[in-house]
Amino acid sequence: MSSGVKIENQVENGKDTSARKQGYKFVYTIGPYISLIVLFIVWIIASGKNVKTFPTPWIVIQKIASLLVNPLSGATLIGHMLVSMRRVFVALFFAIVIGVPFGILVGWNRAFRATLGALFECIRPIPVLAWIPLIIMWFGIGENAKIIMIFIGSVMPIVVNSYTGIKLVASLYLDVGKMFNASTQGQLLKNIVLPAALPTIFAGIRNATSVAWMVVLASEMLAAKSGLGFLINRGMEVFDISLVMAGMIAIAVAGAFLSWIISFIERKVCPWNRGIMSE
Amino acid sequence: MEPGNHVRVKVDNVSKSFVGINGTAEQVIKNVSFDVYDNEFLVLLGPGRCGKSVLLNMIAGLMGTDEGQILLDGVPVTKPNPEMGMVFQRTGTLPWLTVMDNVRFGPRMRGVPKEEQIKKARHYIDLVNLHGFEKHYPYQLSGGMKQRVGIARAYANDPKILIMDEPFGALDAQTRYNMENEILTIAEGEKRTILFVTNNIEEALLLGDRIVLFTACPAQVKQIYTVSLPKPRDTMQEEFLRLRKAISDNTDLAL
Repeated sequence: MSSGVKIENQVENGKDTSARKQGYKFVYTIGPYISLIVLFIVWIIASGKNVKTFPTPWIVIQKIASLLVNPLSGATLIGHMLVSMRRVFVALFFAIVIGVPFGILVGWNRAFRATLGALFECIRPIPVLAWIPLIIMWFGIGENAKIIMIFIGSVMPIVVNSYTGIKLVASLYLDVGKMFNASTQGQLLKNIVLPAALPTIFAGIRNATSVAWMVVLASEMLAAKSGLGFLINRGMEVFDISLVMAGMIAIAVAGAFLSWIISFIERKVCPWNRGIMSE
Repeated sequence: MEPGNHVRVKVDNVSKSFVGINGTAEQVIKNVSFDVYDNEFLVLLGPGRCGKSVLLNMIAGLMGTDEGQILLDGVPVTKPNPEMGMVFQRTGTLPWLTVMDNVRFGPRMRGVPKEEQIKKARHYIDLVNLHGFEKHYPYQLSGGMKQRVGIARAYANDPKILIMDEPFGALDAQTRYNMENEILTIAEGEKRTILFVTNNIEEALLLGDRIVLFTACPAQVKQIYTVSLPKPRDTMQEEFLRLRKAISDNTDLAL
């Protein structure tokens, strides 16, 4: 019996090793490299006529190399990257610490939904960019102002997803909890509702991270002496397009790194999540 | 132990209606009464969607009755009770817990010491043939295996009464047949009072000591059959076939 069960399990979760599947796999593996190479070739062809307005890849790579060792406005490229990421992390930290419990409260408790939830729904449609004048007038253009901007942008998706995640918990799971002795509201919340909502909450955090990455750049382009947003803005001001492009590449790398971190944490916190989609 | 005459659960003239989308109340259960005896395997048989699950939810205390009452050992059921264990129709395995954690969920919520939880869980995981899968998550299991987890979980909670809501309804015929045999073995090994819902006449006849046959919506008790054949039962046996025909002829909708 149990060996039969194992085979059944392998068919469902195992790998298809047929030649056709393997052939596709080869294409899927080298596909990204091919498209990168094509991009480079197009870039080389398109650039080079006037390197001032459209620098070649080599000039940009040289720029990146030089920025890695020679500080600009007091920090190397890595330094600027770290400054931007720090702003994102601080803001995200507060957005999570405040947004997740808030969303859960609004999702779980009817009274909170009727009061705070309604209030949140009124504020939510205001895009974070519309907050910028108010924030500058109230908090200036310093570090705090930037973090507040990022916070406002990233707390919204976190609250929305935490709220939705709680609301969408299948009633079947609640029945299971009640049937198996999770008798208090606290027990249900901790053992059923929260774990069931966790993947949705994490999706919110992932959204929030990309919003945060966007807003930090906007805030740095507005007024800053450090950060990747500052870097590309400086490039524009002094008409150094290779600096702008170097900054853009750094932004892509750092952004990808951020989302990798979030996915990594997500895999650690919800190892079962891979299966939720197919449930 | 043979089924006793001691009444564990009394369903006393229970009715239930739901308000549909168009605002009119629709009665799903009408004046249902029956007794569940100690240690018997009672099958509730009826056409699909005739309110059997609603009845089970009321017996389990997950839902209230409109009229009538349900008594467990003489005490009205008002909320879920650790005396009852449930195997859910759509398995209801919690996706964020491993097989082991799913099975020991009930004892854990009750505050049973961890060692004891694990010991108990291990016993029932072995009993349902899931040994070696303790650390798997439900998404790594097949439908039949998930339902085994559901059965082990219900047993591990030490219920006096086991409620099974069409537990094999979602399984393919072969797995279903295997599971029916396994549930028989388990039920013979560890006597419990079992309330089993199905819409399958053959399944009812294979498992039940008694069979309560329901009408189509609203569900009413049509007849109660006593199946005194010894288990495991032979589906080709004369008495089996006779009962099968009798129930089949007495059933409202073609099943």
